[in-house]
Amino acid sequence: MIPGTAATLTGATYVYGVVPARTVLPADASGVGEPGADLGLVRHGPVAAVVSAVSADGALGSRRDLLRHSRLLDAIARTTAVLPLRFGAVLADRRAVVDELLAPRQARFAAALAALEGRAQFTVKARYVEETVLREVVEQEPLIAELRERLRGRPAEATWYERIQLGELVAGALARRREADSAALVGELGRWASSVTWRPAATEDGVVDAALLVERAAWPGLEHGVESIAARQARRMRLRLLGPLAPYDFSNELMEEN
Amino acid sequence: MGTAALTQRNPYLERPPSSSLADVVDLILDKGLVIDAYVRVSLLGIELLTIDARIVIASVDTYLRFAEAVGRLSLDQERSQPRTLPDLMEDMKPPGKTARKALHAGKEAVEKVEEGAHKVEQRVRGGGGNGGENGKAEDS
Repeated sequence: MIPGTAATLTGATYVYGVVPARTVLPADASGVGEPGADLGLVRHGPVAAVVSAVSADGALGSRRDLLRHSRLLDAIARTTAVLPLRFGAVLADRRAVVDELLAPRQARFAAALAALEGRAQFTVKARYVEETVLREVVEQEPLIAELRERLRGRPAEATWYERIQLGELVAGALARRREADSAALVGELGRWASSVTWRPAATEDGVVDAALLVERAAWPGLEHGVESIAARQARRMRLRLLGPLAPYDFSNELMEEN
Repeated sequence: MGTAALTQRNPYLERPPSSSLADVVDLILDKGLVIDAYVRVSLLGIELLTIDARIVIASVDTYLRFAEAVGRLSLDQERSQPRTLPDLMEDMKPPGKTARKALHAGKEAVEKVEEGAHKVEQRVRGGGGNGGENGKAEDS
């Protein structure tokens, strides 16, 4: 696991997440840092932390580190309940993992993991097909159509403020559509989920990023469902489905409940 | 796994076999459990990434871009004005002087593109061997 005592003396312990103590780690996964360290479990009663050695003076955060952290946790989530920690959790050593992380929260971790059993997160990201929604906006909002018409063929320098005004109206119209479309989409996705959370997408063309906690038995149904929504909405929206993932969006909530 | 088999089955749904770096940044820097007992190690550029991921800009630039984008749209009512008989007659006329000129310019452009493609092909055969770097972008 951690090669030699020297590493434990000078090194620190990186923590990926918390799992049931009986968990078997994926064989092909490798840890963060250079070179990717061996992974191991630090057990305490019914729970365990997924850890690897990391050099205390090293820096973390390369794209490889980020991908390794998430792919390991997502691989675990395919078969086992897992509470993912935010990237960058490092404790002094393996003893500190027990004393400072696991022991003080053992009962809450165990209860949260039990509640998660058989479930994983799926994330649906919806983006607008910009041309379609802009066309909708112009066709349905007389004020915007009128201003657009007035600006046609006039030189850019002479219409600076009017163009900003037009753009602001369009942004407002898009925000109203985003709100309505998000609510409809999230409502529809909720059918397959035991829990849903969402937030407006952080891009200009974004509709919504929704996270769903889904029971294993419902995974195929969800995939088919999202496929048919995507096909139906293809003219207006592009959908991206990720999962099964570790339940990043639900961990804090699960810990607070338990 | 069943999930992987579904990849690419539906042309309307993006269903990547694993999360991209952008997806990952969204998830693991912003969400997941935070424990108060962390040791501080140096994190490369992470603060910056987190901040970037959260910013939604509604700026003058955005407004100007939207204004330009709606200006560029060709709307149904503009495209499909009921066409009059003279319009249709116009269409059926043999190509006039300007049309012929446009055809000629078009042909020249095609020739130029072909010429360019030929040059690229020559360069590739010349064996630069620099291609294919981008395919290795992600650690898997």
